Amino acid sequence: MIYGSRMSGLLYLSPYLLGLAVFTLFPFVASLLLSFSDYRLQDPVSAAQIIGFENYQAMLHDRTFGKSLLVTLVYVFLTVPLKLAFALFIAFVLNFRLRGIGAFRTAYYLPSILGGSVAIAVVWRYVFAGDGLLNQAFVLMGAAPINWLGEPAYAMGSIVLLRLWQFGSAMVIFLAGLQGIPTDLYEAARLDGASAWQVFRRITLPLLTPVIFFNFIMQVIQAFQEFNGPYVITGGGPLKSTYLLPLMIYEEAFKYFEVGYASALSWALFVLVALFTALAFRSSKYWVFYAQERGEGDKS
Amino acid sequence: MRAGLRYGVLIAVGVLMLYPLLWMVGGSFKPNHEIFDSIGFIPHEPTLEGFAKGWHTSTEYTFARYLLNTFAIILPKVVVTVVSSVLVAFGFARFNVPGKRALFGLLIATILLPKSVLLVPQYLMFREMGWLDTFLPLYVPSAFATEGFFVFMIIQFMRSFPREMEEAAVMDGCNSLQVLWHVVVPVIMPAIISVALFQFMWSMNDFLSPLIYLSSVEKYPVALALKLSIDVTEATSWNQILAMSTIALLPSLALFFAAQKYFVEGITVGAVKG
Amino acid sequence: MTRSSVQLAGVSKQFGPTRVLGGVDLRIEPGEFIVFVGPSGCGKSTLLRLIAGLEEPTAGRIHISGRDVTHTHPSKRGVAMVFQSYALYPHMSVAENMAFGLKIQKSPKDEIDARVRRAAGILQLEALLDRKPRALSGGQRQRVAIGRAIVREPDVFLFDEPLSNLDASLRGQMRVEIARLHAQLGTTMIYVTHDQVEAMTLASRIVVLNGGRIEQTGTPLELYHRPANLFVAGFLGSPGMNFLPAQLMSHHSQAVTVGVRPEHVALCTSEDGLPAEVALVERLGGEALAHLRIGGHAVVAKLAGDIALAARDTVRLQIDARHCHFFDGQGNAMTAPA
Repeated sequence: MIYGSRMSGLLYLSPYLLGLAVFTLFPFVASLLLSFSDYRLQDPVSAAQIIGFENYQAMLHDRTFGKSLLVTLVYVFLTVPLKLAFALFIAFVLNFRLRGIGAFRTAYYLPSILGGSVAIAVVWRYVFAGDGLLNQAFVLMGAAPINWLGEPAYAMGSIVLLRLWQFGSAMVIFLAGLQGIPTDLYEAARLDGASAWQVFRRITLPLLTPVIFFNFIMQVIQAFQEFNGPYVITGGGPLKSTYLLPLMIYEEAFKYFEVGYASALSWALFVLVALFTALAFRSSKYWVFYAQERGEGDKS
Repeated sequence: MRAGLRYGVLIAVGVLMLYPLLWMVGGSFKPNHEIFDSIGFIPHEPTLEGFAKGWHTSTEYTFARYLLNTFAIILPKVVVTVVSSVLVAFGFARFNVPGKRALFGLLIATILLPKSVLLVPQYLMFREMGWLDTFLPLYVPSAFATEGFFVFMIIQFMRSFPREMEEAAVMDGCNSLQVLWHVVVPVIMPAIISVALFQFMWSMNDFLSPLIYLSSVEKYPVALALKLSIDVTEATSWNQILAMSTIALLPSLALFFAAQKYFVEGITVGAVKG
Repeated sequence: MTRSSVQLAGVSKQFGPTRVLGGVDLRIEPGEFIVFVGPSGCGKSTLLRLIAGLEEPTAGRIHISGRDVTHTHPSKRGVAMVFQSYALYPHMSVAENMAFGLKIQKSPKDEIDARVRRAAGILQLEALLDRKPRALSGGQRQRVAIGRAIVREPDVFLFDEPLSNLDASLRGQMRVEIARLHAQLGTTMIYVTHDQVEAMTLASRIVVLNGGRIEQTGTPLELYHRPANLFVAGFLGSPGMNFLPAQLMSHHSQAVTVGVRPEHVALCTSEDGLPAEVALVERLGGEALAHLRIGGHAVVAKLAGDIALAARDTVRLQIDARHCHFFDGQGNAMTAPA
């Protein structure tokens, strides 16, 4: 291009190349190796012994792992579709020549900004407490209070709701996607006599698929890595009902010092996420529609 | 009619969304016995007791120290993130480096990678380097554009950057770095601000990294300090705890309201044009 | 070779498998106003960019002011470029835009000021020096882009379709200004356009390009009256030259193409005029364009504005033989027989 040598290009990329090697690739390979070892955190690294697939075999028999895997999958399968659907719905409602659209957008987006913090997690514990905000609202409406943090079934609800509360960031992206659809398409459809549902199904939705895909991938990735909520609000309980994998990995490594096992767990998580992502990308060929951005321009 | 329905839904959802926050702030001004009495967030007997005690956090330090620590971590982190992301994005966007496609693919892959996999080896690495219980592991990696999302965001902004402007600068005698500094950076400043803001927010919320690297309480950022003080505070001093949460969120809140449009623009350019 | 001259020898440019320019030889004398003109994709912008140094030729050499600049950095070739999109720096004022190049090259401050003021004076930009580009109109921005080039006091000015982004009325104005600028400064100017009106009115010499090759170079009137081939003949002039297939009786019934410009097709009343039927008359006020058909071939005639003619009329045409162009089977011009 116009900047002469390729050397300069490499120079610009050098921080990334270095960082990739040192902080990503090396740890990546190292964790695989560690997963085949019996390394314990407090020992010097040299003390580690290779034990083959023992960690993985242990994993298969570990009921805690089974539970953790299950609740993680439940968490992801609950939060991702719900969050996306709700975000899309609200974006749709907002996509209108509304007065105060900015204020609404702020109101919905703000929780996304703050929601990942410890402060909010702490507040959440009080919102879901026995006599907390949510139960008080239930009582006001005549329903019975729920023992959110004490019952395994409902504890999951508390962290799911925390994630759903943060739908704002996905919504903002959907809104931008919706606003990127040229209005002439809607007008042409109206002239052709299409109903609102037909417009949604045949124009809006197809043109939104790239944005839906992007949001889907991002939400899945984030959901699989949720840590703050379970750690602060429920501590993984009760009875490990909110013991998401990242929390388990953390505790195995830093509480029980079983680094070898923790590494095997982290690789299980990695494979899981990679499978999901690969499936999503594969499937995208069938349902994601990329409108052509630019036509072939004339060249002088 | 349709409009009325829309407004109805939006307002209802809005109230639901903001209520926990209002309740939190309101609760910090209430005396303890009032907090779980009613669902309302406006205190009947407003008091600053929660804040006064909360500021002292029931630990040996006050919030002042923890806020200072947080900024001591986040400010360098934001600066090095911006610098490295811009440089690397420029490299990807404007140069034909051998293997660029593969490297870009790796960049995307790192965005999708669950960080749990790298957690322990990174910890061990920093331990060998003697960086435990320092702030270094918290921001040094960012100096190497390890957060691919930001590089990606800037690359997207650069796609729509007018090439002729860069060519004009080259004809004016600039080398690539001068073009970057004098022409490109000023024009993509909104993107850079978005990157800075997002990194600020993410880092403020980052709990796991400080948790595993910092052991001295005097070095704790607000996230860790908050968790600690909650553990050591009397279980019934709710107004203190809520006050502490409020204080912890103030920097993010302030920044968000000051720079809202950059948040929205940043996230949408990355997503919609990606 | 003297200052402000440009010489291209065997210049080719290839982008991967696509050959955009092939073996271009051209010599530009100091002070000329050269226009590169041609259809989209002919390579004219690429050629300009090669002279500027924004691209490197795949083969051939480029000399500016007698120096071989084939591998020299653009800023050291003694050229300055005015871009189609003006490419002004939006965060800098007009004065800063113009001063930027000199600032980068670390010229002394008073020299920068003097040159900026001088350029601003030439282009009547004094009142706008502190404004930012977004506060300027299209025409004003164009002038700033030119001012930025003037400040560098180059040996050669390069213009890349500078008027394409202006609306029609402004284009006419700016054309005059550019012509005046050339008269005032006397520097060599190379100008790329697809608009043949700009080419005809501004150029001291036109270079017609097609498919990466030079079809013909010459003064505007040379190209207009003595086109070397079918392409050039058809490209210049609006409406374009009429082409009719014919057989040359005096040359063994050789198949040729006869070209005649619409202004040289007249109506006549005599019986030995060519019979034609009127398909459509376009009235422009000052003149009328009659679209006619002669035995299945379309011909356009430029006639007086108030001519009494309507569709489906039959008329007889007289074609001035002195203004006929003959092209052989390869499309090249033949020396006209009587």
